[in-house]
Amino acid sequence: MIARTSPPAANPHSRLRPNRYWIALGVAALVVIALGASSVLNYVYLDTIPGRASLYGLLAVALITLGTYILVRAFDRDPSTRRKRLIRAGVLIGLGVLLWLLVVDVFVYTQSAGPTVALICTVACLPTTAAGLYIVRRMDRNEKEPWRLVLVAAAWGAIVATSLVIWGETIWEMSAERSLVPGPGLDASLAFMAGVLEEVAKGTAVLLLFLVMRDDFDDVVDGIVYGAAVGLGFNFMESISYMTNFYSIFSPEGLGIVAAGFQWYARQGLGLFFGHATYTAFIGAGIGIARQLPQMRQKIFAIVSGFLIAIAAHFSWDAWTAFFPIQSSLFGLVEIHLRTLIMTGPFTAALIALLIFGIRYEGEALRAQFVKEAESGSGAILPEEVAILASPWKRLRQRIRAFQHAGLRAYFQIARLQSAQLDLAMERWHRERKEIDTPLEAEETLRQSVIALRHWVPS
Amino acid sequence: MAPRGQVEYCERLITELRRNSLTNAVPIRSTVPALQAAPYDHTQTLYRTLLVFATVAVLALVVGLIEFVYFEPPGKVSGATATIVGVYDYDSSTRMTSGADHSAFPRTQQFAAVVDWSSVPPNMKVDARWYDAFGDVVGHVGPTTADQLSNSSVVPIVVPKEFHHSLPGQYLFVVERFEGSVPVEVLARRIVRVERS
Repeated sequence: MIARTSPPAANPHSRLRPNRYWIALGVAALVVIALGASSVLNYVYLDTIPGRASLYGLLAVALITLGTYILVRAFDRDPSTRRKRLIRAGVLIGLGVLLWLLVVDVFVYTQSAGPTVALICTVACLPTTAAGLYIVRRMDRNEKEPWRLVLVAAAWGAIVATSLVIWGETIWEMSAERSLVPGPGLDASLAFMAGVLEEVAKGTAVLLLFLVMRDDFDDVVDGIVYGAAVGLGFNFMESISYMTNFYSIFSPEGLGIVAAGFQWYARQGLGLFFGHATYTAFIGAGIGIARQLPQMRQKIFAIVSGFLIAIAAHFSWDAWTAFFPIQSSLFGLVEIHLRTLIMTGPFTAALIALLIFGIRYEGEALRAQFVKEAESGSGAILPEEVAILASPWKRLRQRIRAFQHAGLRAYFQIARLQSAQLDLAMERWHRERKEIDTPLEAEETLRQSVIALRHWVPS
Repeated sequence: MAPRGQVEYCERLITELRRNSLTNAVPIRSTVPALQAAPYDHTQTLYRTLLVFATVAVLALVVGLIEFVYFEPPGKVSGATATIVGVYDYDSSTRMTSGADHSAFPRTQQFAAVVDWSSVPPNMKVDARWYDAFGDVVGHVGPTTADQLSNSSVVPIVVPKEFHHSLPGQYLFVVERFEGSVPVEVLARRIVRVERS
């Protein structure tokens, strides 16, 4: 009799994992090289204070990248060393953030807006961006993404993606302005620039999450959440940049606050979801769909499609806003909203359609797994729990009932149990579709953790 | 005649082959759907939907490319150039320029570009424009033929009515060649900075 020495896996011949890590390493190396080259070239050739800020900011980017890497790994490693890793990550991220704020201050100061205005703009953009991230995370009704990954995605969008595009956009913009005829042709060229460079820079974050954190990247819904989070981060930094810049341009005419306020509303109110969040969410949707496709050819098509849609959405806004002029009358206020609705609305509607379909499909798949797990008699999911687990509203009602009976602690215990049961169903789903490379042992561990949690939950 | 053992062996072999052919043979493709209905994979629906959206996206990008080629037609270089003599301080009351050629001005100072129209072929349809940092036109002459512009060599910046002075930022001055009503070539350009203070 041949004894099995390793636990059986659903897809025991999978060699995807090492390949994924190598690809991720390659992408990360390219990002680092691009950042380094961009900053050095900025410093050497632009010879401006923002150029110098870009070089000094490189250290902040490196610290935040290293810190977030350690933070993410801390949760996937031995819990006994988690605290030490969390402290290290916290220190590195803290230093990076402080250094970055310093660089931003210097940069903004050179734009004549001053650090106080920069601080006010940052404070004004924080609650709206935070609300956006909260809503985006809540969109995943069944298995919410961990906050740490959502925040990592947003931080990439705000800091790394914006740094990546500086040099590329500077070269493109300078050469276009010196060679093309001002007007629609130049507008189209600059729109291609923004669409291609910014979406590739933002999409790289989603791609890296897909390659490295596969366990937390389940399907199209997760992709949309991560993509939108990256977009919101990028939008946050861009909003601050535009607000301070417009303030400094219009303040000599006494219109600084109005100009900055208008930028805040256009980017943090009206454009919070109708903009970068929508564009990059399409990249996430493409990668999320690719996650569940069986053939490599289809995976590549799906990822490329996501990027193409994002680039086209971004391009169409930048290139064609000039065709929707805004009157300087009161009706102009209506026109601003109509323009956003007409130009970005169709893309956002298409994304919402993908999201709704994805949530429904995920819900049906999870329900089927709840039934199968209940029928197995393992005790992790009971037959009477299937209907509750399959409905987000019924799950919420169950938690509220627990709260009414035994207080806040019971509420959180039920929440943890439900999350563990959903994790188990998700694991089963991926294993059934042969799109997972963790051993069967992992599923059994999840099952046992659900059973253990059940013991702690009041009946 | 074959020995008895060989006959038995062949019979066993044939029986084995028949059994295997019934249990392990690859089914004929056309009979599979009739025997079992494969579960429908919704991921394929999402994938196809994404491909439809991507097709629309490619169309939008192609339209953008056509737009770019229309306004930047390749091979339309005339070989002509215009001479921008310089950018000088400008007095709107006397409509005269003064001082030396500058690349930066305080926002309270009005300025104007001076074009030598004799450097351009006289029958060529041209104009000269100032663009502010937002791409808005803030001063121009033409479009008309170069010989008709000979009395309009000074092209000043016009401060928008709602403002007291020019807004700070980068200003672009261009001399453009027209084909019909579309500017197709820049014959000369000059970038000027307006300081914030």
